[in-house]
Amino acid sequence: MQKPSILFTGIFGAFAISVGAMVLIPHTQLASLQPQVTWDEGANSPSDIYPHERSATGREVYVAEGCFYCHSQQVRDPQYGPDTERGWGSRRTVARDYIYEDVPLLGSQRLGPDFANFGWTAKVAQKDGSEKTVSMWRNEHEDDSKKPAARNERWIYQHLYNPRTLFSDSKCPSYRYLFETKEIGEKPSPNAVAHNAKFQIVPTHEAERLAQYLLSLDRSHELKEAPTAIKPKEAKK
Amino acid sequence: MNATPETTSAAQGDVTRSDHDVARRDLENVERALIDQSARGPVLTFFTTAIFWLLVSVVLGYIASKSLHAPGSVMGPEWLYRLLHLERASHYIFDHLTYGRVWPAYTTALVYGWCSLAGMGVATWLIGRLTRVSIKAPAVLQFGAWFWNAGVAVAVITILCGYNSGLEFFEMHRVARACLFIGYLFIGIWGLILFRYRRQSTPYISVWYLSAAFFLFPWFFGTTEVLTSMPVAGVMKNIVNAWYQNGLFNLWLGCIGIASAYYFIPKVINRPIYSYNLASIGFWSWIFLGGLTAMTRLSGGPVPAYLVTISIAASILMIIPISTLTLNFVRTMKGHTGLMASSTTLRFTFVGTIFFSLAAVLGVVSALRSVDSYTHFTAWTHGQMHMFTLGFFSMVMFGAIYYITPRLVGCEWLSRTFMKLHFFGTAYGAGTIIALFLFGGLATGFALNEPTADKMGFYNVSGIANAYMPVKTYIGYVLFGVAQIIFAFHFLLMRLRIGQPAGEPTLLATPGEGH
Repeated sequence: MQKPSILFTGIFGAFAISVGAMVLIPHTQLASLQPQVTWDEGANSPSDIYPHERSATGREVYVAEGCFYCHSQQVRDPQYGPDTERGWGSRRTVARDYIYEDVPLLGSQRLGPDFANFGWTAKVAQKDGSEKTVSMWRNEHEDDSKKPAARNERWIYQHLYNPRTLFSDSKCPSYRYLFETKEIGEKPSPNAVAHNAKFQIVPTHEAERLAQYLLSLDRSHELKEAPTAIKPKEAKK
Repeated sequence: MNATPETTSAAQGDVTRSDHDVARRDLENVERALIDQSARGPVLTFFTTAIFWLLVSVVLGYIASKSLHAPGSVMGPEWLYRLLHLERASHYIFDHLTYGRVWPAYTTALVYGWCSLAGMGVATWLIGRLTRVSIKAPAVLQFGAWFWNAGVAVAVITILCGYNSGLEFFEMHRVARACLFIGYLFIGIWGLILFRYRRQSTPYISVWYLSAAFFLFPWFFGTTEVLTSMPVAGVMKNIVNAWYQNGLFNLWLGCIGIASAYYFIPKVINRPIYSYNLASIGFWSWIFLGGLTAMTRLSGGPVPAYLVTISIAASILMIIPISTLTLNFVRTMKGHTGLMASSTTLRFTFVGTIFFSLAAVLGVVSALRSVDSYTHFTAWTHGQMHMFTLGFFSMVMFGAIYYITPRLVGCEWLSRTFMKLHFFGTAYGAGTIIALFLFGGLATGFALNEPTADKMGFYNVSGIANAYMPVKTYIGYVLFGVAQIIFAFHFLLMRLRIGQPAGEPTLLATPGEGH
């Protein structure tokens, strides 16, 4: 027998426990998270601050197109799955990585690869002593014929315009509506995904912002609470 | 013991009734008919609009499913578009209907359109019946229903046009959220007022669940709205989002569905529920644990580890409400399963409760870390969601609608063939969708966790979809969709009062002809 007074007190109690344990306690804990600052004793100033606020504005495009329904942005610890082995990051991502993001797009599905470190690059010394910046995300096997030479903006535009030209099995939609047809001025734009004698198909402002956002995704910086799990492979020259 | 709905305690085989009892029963029947009549307008509005959103969500679900194995394809016959000179328009539209827009529109139409509206319709009718209060000022409810519908419409359209908040199951535009909330306040507060004026002192089990659903939903919705619009950044919003999704399914849809099952199963078989005490244990454990299982959605993610641990523990404890609920339903049905051959309501409701038990057990199993490491980030979670919404909730709602509608429009369902087709389409269509999500998810999970897959990049994973997605689209969604079109047509006939004469309910088989 449930008296209405007991019933409603109980229901409210259930809600209070739920909101307390699942929302309020973690809130008090996470609200105080600050960026990690490395202090330079000599110069008496911070030498290294991580994370920074992202300057790229393409996040809105990423959200509007629902990219996060297929691409997660979180790297799990090796005990959960081979995320780091797949080259999606050098370490697991932690709450501190996301403190500047309005709604972190962690994602719940991996119909495509993880994007937490899409723009992860590293400087690699060349034989002649100079340094070269190489893309570290997804260190695919050397003999993989499908491995792109570089994951730069041009590659992103190709992929956005028609992913099937790069990977025949890709399930990623073609975002043709993020591109526009323009007349060629003097010579085709370097970003044009296709062109003929007179016209070229170039990315719109939105596609450009999206590409910049993707390239800004880099959570490989070392953090004290998340040590680097896998040292990135030495990039071959 | 108030162990049957409405405490009329009409025990079967009660041959030696006195005249007094007969008179009392007649009076109660008249009273019930009056309460039903008072609920007519709002409940029919809820049902009609819910079925509209059901059709919308089936179409969107078909497009979303298809775009995962044939991305960018145009839906429907291309020659028709050519004939109508709509080729360019159709290409323009289908180019924009990418998975990332259609999927959230689909889940919004399904959960907020179909499930919530049907649930509120059934709940309104149940509250009227169980509190024995006729519905006063039904216009308030109608108003709430239209506000809610406007919210869903704004939500679906803005999502398809490329607006998204980034929070799953809470993607709606702010305007849509405001509409939903205002609409809800009209419906929910009004329901609480009804409860206040009840003429039934000790509430029946269904009323417990309905009170929980109607009391908790605004709290979950409001808290999420407030916390996600705060300028606080970081994973806190993901935590709130996971908590909200959990509340939405377990405590909003779950409670309404269970309430409906607790009413209609004993009602149709005309027998009290097996155990009131079991129901009590089931209820309290469900609402206390149901709010704590949220963070398995973020297992392995960048959130405090203790949150996930609490949720895993709560998920395992969910065995208590699941087993008590299942035991109660099965023991109540014992010896009466034969009635499922003839009663549409019972067939839908009982199959729905079986799906409920399965979905809840899957929830327990996939909370375990060892299982989760394979099923996380895969379509397996979509399978769980569909088992809950299509298998359990929709089935139970169909059962309720088949029972309630004749009592509101004054005629019986026209065709038993339509009902049978609807049942088989729904059961096998939803079953196909669920099974393929689950098995496809599992296959993807194994591929994702295959360390040597590194050699292959991601190509081995995306190839798996080719194997199961087309079956899900062309068999699952098509079967399910055709069944819902038949159902919508049947419901339309009822609203036009085209049906069998009132009196005897339309049965799937003449009693005696079945088992």
